[in-house]
Amino acid sequence: MRLNPLTSLAMAGTTAVITTAAASWPLSLAVVSAALALAVRGGTARRLLPAAAAVLVPLCLSLLIVHGLFFPEGRTVLAQWGPARITGEGLAFALQRAAQLAAAVLALLVFSFSVHVPDLVAALSARGVQGRFAFVLASTLALLPAVTSRVHRIRQAQESRGLVIRPGLLHRAAAFRLQAVPLVLSLIEEAGTRAAALEARGFSNPGPRSSYRAVPDSRHQCTLRAVLLVAAAASVVARLWLDRAGT
Amino acid sequence: MSSPSLTLPSPGPAAARKRRLLEVLGALAIAGTYVYLVLNQPTDITGGPGSASALIALSGFLVGAVLLIVAVLPTLPASTVVLIPVALVLNIVLGQFVGSTLVPFYLDAIGTVLIAVLAGPAAGAATGALSSIVWSFFNPTVLPFAAGAALIGCLAGLAARHGMFRRFYLAPVAGFVTGIIGGVVSAPVAAFVFGGTSGVATGAIVSAFRSMGDTLLAAITKQALISDPMDKAIVFTVVAVLAYALPRRTRVQFPFIRRHRVLAGQAGDETQTQVPVTGTGSPAQPTGQGS
Repeated sequence: MRLNPLTSLAMAGTTAVITTAAASWPLSLAVVSAALALAVRGGTARRLLPAAAAVLVPLCLSLLIVHGLFFPEGRTVLAQWGPARITGEGLAFALQRAAQLAAAVLALLVFSFSVHVPDLVAALSARGVQGRFAFVLASTLALLPAVTSRVHRIRQAQESRGLVIRPGLLHRAAAFRLQAVPLVLSLIEEAGTRAAALEARGFSNPGPRSSYRAVPDSRHQCTLRAVLLVAAAASVVARLWLDRAGT
Repeated sequence: MSSPSLTLPSPGPAAARKRRLLEVLGALAIAGTYVYLVLNQPTDITGGPGSASALIALSGFLVGAVLLIVAVLPTLPASTVVLIPVALVLNIVLGQFVGSTLVPFYLDAIGTVLIAVLAGPAAGAATGALSSIVWSFFNPTVLPFAAGAALIGCLAGLAARHGMFRRFYLAPVAGFVTGIIGGVVSAPVAAFVFGGTSGVATGAIVSAFRSMGDTLLAAITKQALISDPMDKAIVFTVVAVLAYALPRRTRVQFPFIRRHRVLAGQAGDETQTQVPVTGTGSPAQPTGQGS
């Protein structure tokens, strides 16, 4: 069965919220492995893993540096040199935080790498804000690869006109300016043309929109989305209530 | 670019009042969350991950940012809405590059500030919040910073409106002040949601303060006060360079720039506010610009 993109978004979001609220590392690790299994099964693991690593590796390193080495509240000192003390509490805090963040990040990334973007846009573009938001999302996702290749072309063009990036901050800044100005100019020019074209097609007119693309949806999925949202809200409330009762 | 429709009914004052209410609610949600977090921080700074503060920071800031988007986005003219994806792409392309290098800066707001300068504080705020939300498609860790990004966009628009981009040396000063405010507001998110920072270089600065015995929030706020003002000063300077590099024909398409004389050397343009300048444009509707 193909899921409605909004349903999978609700699933990913609720998973992220519940893992954050539960704050237990077995649950976080379970979510991480479930997300990885889903990615492998969906065939998106090859693209997802580099993206997840780009986010999570610096984050985890930073957590280890901050809490592993310096944790003034820590008691159990495992090693010490100079002002740096490796404490058990600090390491536990860093690992717990890392597991929890990894779970939330992977849950959301599995969604964004598996979702069919035209479906998501069609599901979102009902009317009003949602329609405009869907335009911004779809337009950004379509522009990104185009802009990356244009950056490359502009660099080639400037290099053929004699641009050599020499070391030194000023030279780098000048080189950046030579590449950024044509890029921004052309993008803003194009945006103006696009605005006129969109306006001619009634982009900012109020009222309902229809779509050629039919996105599968059912009563069950609608109920499921409602249940998931309630579950996420309930987990947040339960967490706040428990913390209040605990202190 | 966009002209008010002649055949469709224009939204009444009730709709405008509802939007204003949403804007105020969004701003209140962000401010209230920040005040609550700062007042309550000493009790549970190391109370374990997933403590109430993380959830309050996440939900309060996100709800505020979403309310701002819902309030602002429908009021923007199409010529501004099509610029938002451009700004987002600039944010992502430049931010992704700097975020992974060993520099304690982010430079992830160039697009947002550019839109704020071209189209005003409301557009800047919406762009900032949308940028975080769309970027979280690839990097979910930027999602909690949506409120901070919206604030940066709004402040940049206000700076542009009050002529901070008319003199070249004022732009970095405005960026510096914006960075101080933005950094202080974003620090609780970094502290409570992430328990640190997302980059190695910024993490090193935080751990330096931690080694002197600061609490986590104090250390991250100090790190933000070192990184953010410099970062935003650079961003504002870059945006000033870009804005002055735009040809006059493009600049005068933006009613915000004409009305508030955002850039220097535009004094002669007041006469042109009544007359369409480009072939594609009719006098653009002022809704949402500079409100």
